[in-house]
Amino acid sequence: MISTLLKTATAALLLGAACLGAIQPAEAGAPKDGKKYKIYLSLSYSGNAWQSEAANIVKALAATPPYNDLVELKEVISGADPQAQISAYESMIDAGADGIVSFPISATALNRTIKRGCEQGVLFFMYDATVTESCAYNVSYLSSGFGENSAQALVNALGGKGKIFLSRGVPGNSVDQRHTDGAKHIFAKYPGIEVVAEYYSFWDDRTTQQETAKALAAHPDVQGIWAQAGEYGAIQALLDKGGNLVPVTGENSNGFRLALADPAMQAKGLTGVSAGSPPAQSGYAFKLMMEILTGKRELKPTNIEYPLPWVPADKVKLCSGDTFENGCNVFPKERVPSSFVTEVLNPVLLPELNIESALNGTPVKGATIQPLPAEVIKAANEPGINCSRCEAAKDQYKLTKIAPTVN
Amino acid sequence: MTVMNENPIAQAGFQQSADTRRSARVSAETVSTLAVAALCVVLLVGARFISPSLGSWSQVETVLVLGSFLVVLSFGQGLVILTGGLDLSLPAVATLSGILATNWVGASDPGAWCLLPVVLLACGCVGFLSAAGIVWLKVPPFIMTLAMSIIVSSLLLGYTKGTPRGAAPDAAVALMKGHLLGLPAPVLFLVGFVLLGWLFQSRSVYGRYLYAIGTNVEAARIAGAPVTAMRILPYVISALSAGFAGLMLVGYSSGATLRMGDSYLLPSIAAVVIGGSSILGGRGTFLGTVGGAILLTTLGTIISAIGLEFGLRTIIEGAIVLVALLLLREELFQKLGSLWR
Repeated sequence: MISTLLKTATAALLLGAACLGAIQPAEAGAPKDGKKYKIYLSLSYSGNAWQSEAANIVKALAATPPYNDLVELKEVISGADPQAQISAYESMIDAGADGIVSFPISATALNRTIKRGCEQGVLFFMYDATVTESCAYNVSYLSSGFGENSAQALVNALGGKGKIFLSRGVPGNSVDQRHTDGAKHIFAKYPGIEVVAEYYSFWDDRTTQQETAKALAAHPDVQGIWAQAGEYGAIQALLDKGGNLVPVTGENSNGFRLALADPAMQAKGLTGVSAGSPPAQSGYAFKLMMEILTGKRELKPTNIEYPLPWVPADKVKLCSGDTFENGCNVFPKERVPSSFVTEVLNPVLLPELNIESALNGTPVKGATIQPLPAEVIKAANEPGINCSRCEAAKDQYKLTKIAPTVN
Repeated sequence: MTVMNENPIAQAGFQQSADTRRSARVSAETVSTLAVAALCVVLLVGARFISPSLGSWSQVETVLVLGSFLVVLSFGQGLVILTGGLDLSLPAVATLSGILATNWVGASDPGAWCLLPVVLLACGCVGFLSAAGIVWLKVPPFIMTLAMSIIVSSLLLGYTKGTPRGAAPDAAVALMKGHLLGLPAPVLFLVGFVLLGWLFQSRSVYGRYLYAIGTNVEAARIAGAPVTAMRILPYVISALSAGFAGLMLVGYSSGATLRMGDSYLLPSIAAVVIGGSSILGGRGTFLGTVGGAILLTTLGTIISAIGLEFGLRTIIEGAIVLVALLLLREELFQKLGSLWR
C-alpha cells in the first residue's frame, strides 16, 4: 500500500518536473513581460575580502543595463555549514528561481538538492569552489594548475635547492588538497628542496602572519615560501623578523603585488609570482548564466575553466585609474586595502566593472553588458572536486605557465 | 576570610598548627603560578631537541609578541570568570575596535590620540550593555555575551559590507613594531601591563571585592561590598581589554579583518583555567593567567615546529592542555605547599 503510494507520488513528481523542465526553455528566450528573471546569489560564508568582492561584482553586473531590467537578484548568506546552504537552495528552488549563482561550501553535500533543482529547470552556476553533481555548471580556476605552476616558479627562483615553508589553506578542504598535491608533485622532483614547515593559514592574512612567525622561530634560515591566499601575511612575518626577505609565491592580494614590485623589497631579496583564485569567476559565471537564460548561448552543463592569473614580479604594473587598463594589474595602496584581491577585474570577460563595483557592488555609470567571448575552456576532470566517478588526466600536473629552469 | 573547601579532618592529621588554611592557600597559588612558569621554561629549553633554533632569545621574543594579545584578552576574561561569569563577546569586541580604528583613524592621522580613546569607549559601552543585561535583566552571562557578540559582529559585517577598509593607526603600529632599549615594544608593554593587571587584581580593594563576589555574592553584599557596581566592572574592563587587544592585532598585521578575534575565544578561557583559576569564580591570580597564556603560545610555536599532520598536532595540543590542567590542580599544590612547612 505504502509502496504504491510512494510510487504514485514519485511518478507525479517526476511528471511535474518533466513538465516544468519542458516549459522552462520555451520561456527562456525573451524576458517575460514585466517579469524579471529570478536569480539568487548564494554565499556560504561572508566576511573576507575575497567573498565580498565576488558577491559585489555579481550585484554590480545585475544592476548594469540591460540586466537591471531583466534580473531580480537576491543574495542569501547561509554560513559555513552545508546544512544551511542545502536549506537555502531548497527555498530558492521552491520560490521559483530561474538561476542560482553560488559559492558552494561542499563539493558533494549539496548534490541531491542541486539535482532536484535541475529537474525543475533551475540553472546552477558554481564559482571558484565546485560541486561533483553533473547537472550544475562549475566555473573555476581549480583545474588551471595553481599549485604546480607556482611551485615550479619557487623552485626556479631558488635554483632547485633550499629550505621552504608551505603555507596552506583550510585543513580537510579539497581545494587546499588539490593545490598542495600539485605543489608537492613538483617539489618531490627536486631532492634539494626541503619542506621544513607546513602549516594551515586558513586563507587569511593575519593567520598566515602568525603561523609564519611561529615557523620562523624554529627555522630562521628559510629560503622560500610557497603560500596560498594570505601570502601578504607571510611577507609581513619576514619583515617583522628583520633581516632579509626570500622568494614568495602566493595569490592575488593587492598588498602582495605591491610588495613584489617594490624596489626596496626586491633589494632585500623578495621575488615571486602572484597567481591563484580570482573573484572575477563569479562575474563570469553570472554572465554565462544570463547569456544562456536569454537564449544568446547554447551550453550544456559542464566544467568551465577560468584561466589562471599569472603575474611574476617583473610583470606587476600599477594602475592609474579604476580598472585594469594597458596591462596594469595592481592598485595604489591609497585606493584599496592590502587584502583587496586584484583579480576581481578582467578587461576581456568583465569590461563593465571597476574597483568601486568590487568594493561596493555599484554599477559603473554608462557601462552596458558586453557579450562574452564565444568560446569557453573546458576544465579537466578533477575527481572529487568537479566530477564523481571520473579519472584524473595522466598529465594532471603538467606545467602551463612556466618551464623548469633547473634540473 | 576562610574558605571551606578542605576536609578539616584530613587536614588535622596532616598539620599540627590550628588554622593555617589561609596561608596554605596563598602558598598554593604561588606554587601553581611558579609551576606554570617553570613549565614554560622547560618547554622552551626542551624545544632545542626539536629544532636547534628553538629555545633562543629570538623564539622567546616571538612567543612574547604572539602571546601578548592573549595576555591582554585573558586579563579581562579572568576578571569576568573571577566573579563567576563568562565573556563570549571578546572576539567581536576586538574586531569592533580593530575595524573602527582602521576606518575612523587610519594611518598618520593626527587625531588618533582623541579618536583611539573613543574607539575604546565604544568597546566599553558594549561591555556595559552585556553587564546591564546580566545584572539587571538577569540574563545568564553565557547567553548575554553570546548575543552581544552576534549583534556586534553582524553590525560590523553590514557596516563594512564585507571589506574592512583603511590602514592601521601609526600609534598601534608603533606599539607592535617599535623597539625601545633594544627590546621589542610589545614585550616592554607586556611587562607594564602584567604589573598593572596584577596590582589591580591582587593588591587593590576593587580586586578584593571581585574575589569576595566570586566566592559568595550574598556574603559580599552583607560585608558591604558595592555588589552591583562590582559585577558590572569586570565586563566593562573585559570589553576594554578586548578593544585594546584589537588595536594591538591591527598594529601587528597592519589592518583589520572581520574575523580577526575569532581564534582567541577558547584560548582566553583556557589561559585563565590553566593559570589556576576556578571556572566557577572566586579563585585565581592574574600572574597564573599570564603563565597560562604564555604556556599556550609556547606550545603553539613548538607544535608548529614539529611538522606533524594537522590532526595529530591538534590532538597533542589538546592532550597537553589536559595534562597541564590535571597536574596543576590546586589540591596538588596545597599538599606540596604544606609539605614545605
